[in-house]
Amino acid sequence: MASDLARKTEEPQAPRIFRPTTKSPLGPVKIASAVSSVAPLLALLAILGILVHQALPAVKYNGIGFFVHNVWHPGNFYLQPVTTNGVLHPAQADYGAWAIIVGTVLSSLIALVIALPASLGAALVVSKLLGPRVRNTLGIFLELLAGIPSVVFGLWGTLTIGPLLSRDIYPIVAKHMPDVIILRWFRGSTGAGEGLLTSGIILAAMIIPIIASTSRDLFAQVPKLTEEGAEALGMTRMEVTTKVTLPWVSAGIIGATVLGLARALGETMAVAMVSGSVLGTLPTNIYSTFNTIAATIVTTLDSALIDGTGLAVRTLAEAALVLMLVTLLANVGARLLVRKVSTTALPVGRGV
Amino acid sequence: MQDLAPRPVEEFSANPPGSSRTVIKVSDLTVGFGRTTIISGVNLTLMQGSIVALIGPTGSGKTTFLRSLNRMNDKVRGYFAGGGILLDDQEVLSDHVDLLELRRRVGMLFQRPNPFPMSIRDNVLAGVKAHGLAKKSEHDRIVRENLERVGLWNAVSGRLHDSPFRLSGGQQQLLCLARSLAVQPEVLLLDEPTSALDPISVEAVEKLLADLAEEITFIVVTHSLAQARRISDHTMFFFDGHLKESGPTAQIFEDPQQPETQYYVSGRMG
Ligand SMILES: Nc1ncnc2c1ncn2[C@@H]1O[C@H](COP(=O)(O)OP(=O)(O)OP(=O)(O)O)[C@@H](O)[C@H]1O
Ligand SMILES: [Mg+2]
Repeated sequence: MASDLARKTEEPQAPRIFRPTTKSPLGPVKIASAVSSVAPLLALLAILGILVHQALPAVKYNGIGFFVHNVWHPGNFYLQPVTTNGVLHPAQADYGAWAIIVGTVLSSLIALVIALPASLGAALVVSKLLGPRVRNTLGIFLELLAGIPSVVFGLWGTLTIGPLLSRDIYPIVAKHMPDVIILRWFRGSTGAGEGLLTSGIILAAMIIPIIASTSRDLFAQVPKLTEEGAEALGMTRMEVTTKVTLPWVSAGIIGATVLGLARALGETMAVAMVSGSVLGTLPTNIYSTFNTIAATIVTTLDSALIDGTGLAVRTLAEAALVLMLVTLLANVGARLLVRKVSTTALPVGRGV
Repeated sequence: MQDLAPRPVEEFSANPPGSSRTVIKVSDLTVGFGRTTIISGVNLTLMQGSIVALIGPTGSGKTTFLRSLNRMNDKVRGYFAGGGILLDDQEVLSDHVDLLELRRRVGMLFQRPNPFPMSIRDNVLAGVKAHGLAKKSEHDRIVRENLERVGLWNAVSGRLHDSPFRLSGGQQQLLCLARSLAVQPEVLLLDEPTSALDPISVEAVEKLLADLAEEITFIVVTHSLAQARRISDHTMFFFDGHLKESGPTAQIFEDPQQPETQYYVSGRMG
């Protein structure tokens, strides 16, 4: 559509008044729009730049090992600091983020696996099955849910949901889950309610409103005429939904999902409260205590400040950089996915 | 909107020469939403292979009537229907009717093209797959056959896997027609199928209907009196929720019996 407009303005016979005003290249509107269009980019670059600058010594000291091993050892502050690779650091300091990278990705994926079907189901029910009054009321609830502070979710998780699940649900699941690939992960010790699955569930509760309310708006945009066409062809309601309604908005749903995923990847407080906060070990099953990058940063920042050489803080900056990278990768992945679904048939969203 | 009292309506048979099988028989049909009756006292018998034009001023109930035939009104709030609609001796309005099969047999083409968000090929096959009408090995043939039937094959044979949304409006409507034809309907309901098309596409669709009319019975709602005259064997004139007059198209246009019909077909109304 934008290109259509552009083409129109280039037409020679277009009335002069509609042409872009090329005469005053530096009008206030132009300057304002130029500034506002580069502002987000500048902000991003600034954040990235500062982060890289902060993290640089840690990157040099931790090296590639940061990504492949699981120790989180700030070193011995009572010994004389040592210099390695030109970086001053406490003796015996050793950092490996593999476990918290895995923890970040896994807890977010669990959250997505729960939240995506739940959100789509809720959005479909709300937009297709319910009358307008119920629809609006539910919509308000969704928005309220989206506004609940994450610390409340975290509290709810550690005080209520976590203990409840680990007492009444997890043991039963663990007992009856067959010892086969993937499902094996649901067996074994179920812990006290703090861990991967509980975090995933809490995260899901936090991102469901995001995905559901976006999806609801998307479903409302699917033309009635198209859905009726499918119905008039003798498709079941299920077929109409899976063949017409969902594909129509798939690009948008991927976008909403990535928004939710980014929120889950970066969620700090709630996860810090229900993860069990262990550092340096990989989860052994889905109930294992673990940690994420964001939660590690917030829970270890205080003690990191004690490190007189500054390495601990700089390592946290490096971890933050990794988190940004993971989020970026998720975005790129989503873009590729959107491109793929768009080429099959989508009427809109090629550039989403 | 109006009272429920049935007004006398003559029975009407669309019965072109050479055909005698009754496809649809509507008797004393009353349809409405909530407490409002929209159409009442409609009687008609439709023979196989006819093209019937539905004309009448806006709001006269043409769409409501059409959508009653394949029960697309069912989910509309407050919808009710009385009387009878027989499709090959089967009561369409019965609770026991298989809606999916009914809609396969009584297809529908809409006012504006409504391709599904899938490839051109999958659009043609959408209904075929939903009803499990053919084996996978026959899909290629079905796609080709139906696209050829609507005269679209040459234009799209090279991009069957492309989006249908890059086709022109007319081509999209033809694709929707191919999609409807692919499930081998007995009756096709068309609600102003050409109102969004350019004259050339209109001509293409009209010619197609004429060609296909031997196998399929068409009921076409149209606001174009000229189109009704051109394509239909029979014409039904709806007025204020009633089937005011019906009969052979020539008769309706040349020698209308009711004053409202006279007024309408002379182009002075609606
Ligand atoms: N869902 C509904 N609830 C209540 N009234 C309705 C509903 N749908 C249609 N109507 C009313 O039924 C009457 C007939 O509408 P219908 O759409 O069948 O007319 P039409 O002859 O198709 O008109 P047009 O030529 O403009 O398409 C109108 O008065 C309309 O307002
Ligand atoms: Mg209508």
